[in-house]
Amino acid sequence: MTTSHPKGSSAGPPEVEVVSSEPELRIGVFPCKCGKNIGAVVNIDAVAEYAKTLPGVVHVQVNTYTCADPGQREIQEAIAQHGLNRIVVASCSPTMHEDTFRKTVKAAGLNPYLCIMTNIREHVSWVHQHDPASATKKAMDLIAMSVAKAATLVAQPELDVPVTQAALVVGAGVAGMQAALDLADAGFKAYLIERQPTIGGIMAILDKVFPQNDCSICILGPKMVDVAKHPNITLITMAEVESISGYVGNFEVRVKQRPRYVNMDKCTSCGDCVEVCPVDVPSRTDQNLTWQKAIQIPFPQAVPSSYFIDPEACLGMDLIRCGKCIDRCEQEAINASDRTKYVDFDVGVIILATGFKPADPSKTPRLGWGRFPNVITTLEFERLINAAGPTEGKLVRPSDLLKPTSVAIAQCVGSRDIGTRSACSNYCCAESVKCALLIKEHYPDTDVTIFYQDLRMHGKYFEDQYLKAREEGVKFIRGRVGEIQQYPDTKNLRVSVEDTTHNKLSMENYDMVVLSMGAEGAAGNFPLPISCTSDSFYIESHPKLKPVDTSSAGVFICGGAESPKDIRDSVIQASAAAGRAAIILQKGRYPIEALSAKIMQDICSRCGTCVSRCPYGAISQDGTGKFTVMGALCQACGTCAGDCPQDAIYMPNFTSEQIEAQIETALVENTSEKIVAFACAFCSYRGSDLAGVSRMQYPTNARVIRAMCSGRYSVRFAQKAFELGAGAVLYSGCHLPADCHFQTGNVWMAKRESRIRGWMKRNNIEDERFRVEWVSAGEGKKWQNIMTEMAHVVTTPRKNSSTPKTPTVAKSEKPVKPKTKAKPKGKQASKPHSPGKGTSTKKTTRKK
Amino acid sequence: MKFAFFPGCTMAYRLPFAEKSIRMVVPHFDVELVDLAFTCCPEPNTVRALSDDTWITLAARNIALAEAEGLNILTACAGCHESLSLAKHELDENPDRKNKVNELLKDLGLEYKGTSTIVHVHQLLFDEIGIESISSKVVRPVPIKVVTHTGCHLLRPERVLHVDNAEVPVKLDMLCESLGMVPLEYMDKTMCCGAGVRKINSVTSYAILREKMTSIAMVEPNAIVVFCPTCFITFESGQRVANRIFGTDFKIPVFYYTELLAIALNLPETDILLAEHRVKIELPTSTETKEENKTETKDSIPSSP
Amino acid sequence: MSDMSEDLQTNRLKELKETALPCFQCGVCSSSCPVFRVSPELNPRVSVDSIISRGKVPSEGNEWLCAYCLMCDQRCPMGVSLAEILMVIKNISAKEGQAPPDVIESAESLMADGCQSPISSRSEKQREDMGLPKLPRADPEDVKMLFRATGAAEVLELNRSTSGEASE
Repeated sequence: MTTSHPKGSSAGPPEVEVVSSEPELRIGVFPCKCGKNIGAVVNIDAVAEYAKTLPGVVHVQVNTYTCADPGQREIQEAIAQHGLNRIVVASCSPTMHEDTFRKTVKAAGLNPYLCIMTNIREHVSWVHQHDPASATKKAMDLIAMSVAKAATLVAQPELDVPVTQAALVVGAGVAGMQAALDLADAGFKAYLIERQPTIGGIMAILDKVFPQNDCSICILGPKMVDVAKHPNITLITMAEVESISGYVGNFEVRVKQRPRYVNMDKCTSCGDCVEVCPVDVPSRTDQNLTWQKAIQIPFPQAVPSSYFIDPEACLGMDLIRCGKCIDRCEQEAINASDRTKYVDFDVGVIILATGFKPADPSKTPRLGWGRFPNVITTLEFERLINAAGPTEGKLVRPSDLLKPTSVAIAQCVGSRDIGTRSACSNYCCAESVKCALLIKEHYPDTDVTIFYQDLRMHGKYFEDQYLKAREEGVKFIRGRVGEIQQYPDTKNLRVSVEDTTHNKLSMENYDMVVLSMGAEGAAGNFPLPISCTSDSFYIESHPKLKPVDTSSAGVFICGGAESPKDIRDSVIQASAAAGRAAIILQKGRYPIEALSAKIMQDICSRCGTCVSRCPYGAISQDGTGKFTVMGALCQACGTCAGDCPQDAIYMPNFTSEQIEAQIETALVENTSEKIVAFACAFCSYRGSDLAGVSRMQYPTNARVIRAMCSGRYSVRFAQKAFELGAGAVLYSGCHLPADCHFQTGNVWMAKRESRIRGWMKRNNIEDERFRVEWVSAGEGKKWQNIMTEMAHVVTTPRKNSSTPKTPTVAKSEKPVKPKTKAKPKGKQASKPHSPGKGTSTKKTTRKK
Repeated sequence: MKFAFFPGCTMAYRLPFAEKSIRMVVPHFDVELVDLAFTCCPEPNTVRALSDDTWITLAARNIALAEAEGLNILTACAGCHESLSLAKHELDENPDRKNKVNELLKDLGLEYKGTSTIVHVHQLLFDEIGIESISSKVVRPVPIKVVTHTGCHLLRPERVLHVDNAEVPVKLDMLCESLGMVPLEYMDKTMCCGAGVRKINSVTSYAILREKMTSIAMVEPNAIVVFCPTCFITFESGQRVANRIFGTDFKIPVFYYTELLAIALNLPETDILLAEHRVKIELPTSTETKEENKTETKDSIPSSP
Repeated sequence: MSDMSEDLQTNRLKELKETALPCFQCGVCSSSCPVFRVSPELNPRVSVDSIISRGKVPSEGNEWLCAYCLMCDQRCPMGVSLAEILMVIKNISAKEGQAPPDVIESAESLMADGCQSPISSRSEKQREDMGLPKLPRADPEDVKMLFRATGAAEVLELNRSTSGEASE
């Protein structure tokens, strides 16, 4: 099924009718105290009184928790009682609750796009805690800006798109396997993509798994077989996602599969080939502690149960160079002419289960890994204690293959260190205790000491595990290992730790040291722009309430790709992601935001610039030379509008008129001390929210204007702000080059910088008053720094302060001008349009 | 290459033979040295502990002297190198501080601009000249087993100095290898020699030295090779003090690297260097070593019967 | 340039506390410290803790034992510049007249001679015998001027008077 043109369709009523259907602007403003979160800093009652004076506002109602049921009901009652037709909720970030309040007004019979939010929590009360007066003033300004914007909001038709009932699951560790199995069991098709030759991920190489210390491969193996056999799962190993296009419900995926050189249908895993292969390669499964052949199976339980050839190591699959395996294989399974394949398919949802990387021990050189053979990592330990490992489960030290009589376990390696990863790895405490117990189980006489910084046995049953270790005689010393030195003759290790409980240096000798390794993020190298934290883990849509959603509709995350976690948590998240994905798949149709661009044909000069700006190929020219937007393809970034020379592209809820109204309202007074800050919805605005959530304090000068994408910020907006006397202007977007949620919006915005600076120079505006910044959703601290630095710029007296002389300045005697001009549907033909103007009809339609 | 030479107080007045060895070897690598009216670097643990401003101003004066001559500074002492490098780093990063310092230097007719770099003999030899060029000039290899001690103030702070890997220093070992020595791995390689605290509490200082020497003695080297006069004195004279205090029996010769380089280049007058050493060593004689070396290793070294 | 007033001292402590705040008391610094290894009186972790939790410089004066080898600095997982913190503690202690006599002596020599320890005629002679050039010396008046203008002379004076008191 194809989608029909969503809006601007011929059924759309002409402009005149829209105006007459809403003859009077009746705005309701709902300031929220959010308990003490806002109320303790911002004087909400003063804000409410101020809101009453704003043009178009007919009703103001303060609430302690607007998002709670009574608060929502009050909005609905107020709509009925006062005939409200625009709603401004002044509370938290729209990222948090815009959806909530849109549903609220919809239930009251109002078009959901007539409701917008003012962020007076993350942008005001949480970041200006020590300056209530300025915070209150800023809250008033922000509400006035929203009211000005609300005045020109136009009802948008609600749309949905069909959903392809299949899922892409990327990564087949335990999380990806679980997600694929859940979806497949629910009756949906799942494509499971794995980079390695086998599924199973890190769990497949572990020996036992805490807290019950059951055998890892014994519980994982059957699940791996389930994956291989499930009729609804298509497993593609040795493969990576090459490209993804489309949108929620309709993703087109291309997967690139490396050659295996072994025909999986013919291979019986007999292992004859291994006997003749002359090439040794370090074993990946065994953490390079032993060798495998160039033709190999990672481990006996591997799925698919088939050998593969490492082409880097293989001497040559022909009889001249080697070809011994071809000669030997009775099944004739070796396929020397195997080539890279591309597999294309369509899915409705995507689950990213790409996992994490074990931390790199060579980044902590003071502990000697790589220089001292008897310093090993936890994963190396797992292989040494594993019956399927290189020593068949006998724990020996690498230097002399003797059983160690004393073992130290050093925690927090690769974690809680700004040189590696500053956060806790979440699993290394439990892992250490498990290793200690495994040693005690096999060799009760071995002396085992755990050096911990903070023993975080936070999970269910973990504390029992700890008590058991105590009972078994494992020693626990509080102190992080400072250094390890190796005795040159015996290769024994001297471990220096301060026993911080007793302020005493401990310099004891051990036969072996196990480094309890943390995790490194591996997210981000994926052909879809999903926001990542600075340490390369995917960012969830909401840390508490939408922990497996991402900011991209239809894309979910689980397991180690989201943050370091253990098996149980990975499986919980995987099932959660599958459940969230199934909601979309099961409904069959998905509602999309009705905010796609429309070209105003009467203004359009047919230059075609927009076509090159659109990352989705949504704009095309018809036979008559007219450019039109294919609604379902458009993702509403507004990059086309940002560069349209005629300003002829209408972006619902982010029109030029609305944004300029916000700029004008922000700059009614004390203009030189104001920063007009543009932030994109998916990175920078979320970064600013994070600064709020983290209570990072900064000066109150900024007035943030949110847009879907930095591609929307036209040159004109900065000019307008400076013309009105703004102290500084910030254009903030997702990091260059590839972080943009809309692929290239940030790139096009960056190209406008030189034009803006050129214009500033001609108008004697100091360079430092304009900044282009890249702030990700994880960079609250960066947002705080930018705000603080820019506040310094606007509050430092300037030598030759300059405001360009333009007609707009002359007009500023009227403060806030809500413009109720309904100017929607790209098709109206009558009115001439010029950017930043168009005042003729406003006074007549404005109330009071 | 031409440098303003900064031997530092310790080398100049307590270890002149080490300074002599530097002056002997550098002309063989086309390096020219100029002497300027420097003060002490100054030593951070004394002057800087009293006043950070005095420390940075005196260091800036020293650097400004070299800048006035258009020369980079060649340091010979790890402490001087670190002190000057840290001061330079601070002045270059912090314009306010630079301006304040320059206010005072103006009275002396000087200005700190930030144009001269600070190079230690270690860096000159390893980074500028290179071990290949050094080994090509070796005519009398020195086949002894050594341990190297690069010195705290050449290694740390790593983010400013970039002399070698601060946790696993290898460059001095490679420089030793290029002269035919066998460097040995030992415990506590990056540990302090103890000099830094000698003035405050000498027993603590020698206790640190005892720890360090115990680790060194474990691998039975023929000598300790250093790149710092203070470390040299601590190791050489300190051994005897440590023996007296702790009843130990350390007796390992110590060399400043360029002394061995002078010997390996077979320069005249190296005897006067060795004569000043308090822990004596019998170095294998010239002819013996050349024979051995020639037959065992490469044939490119010019031989003399 | 000298900052001797109480206010500046307090400000410095405040700044110090800020740079120390990320410290989570793991003990990597102390277990890497060569002095702590032989003299438990100096524990850099405890010195930093005193700054963070009590907001004051530890009174025992053990920070003078710091050899400034920067091992703690190199290894601190939170990037706290411990050696710099210990240095500021020494600065504050010196301004309270608590500098150890040998430190004062070295500084006096530097102010007088431009060199940390007095240059003896014997060592001058030794240089000459070895064929080393006579090194040009800085004008002592210049050095004295810089000492006075940058605070060290004042700190020296202060410590001289306190050590005088103590000996009486």
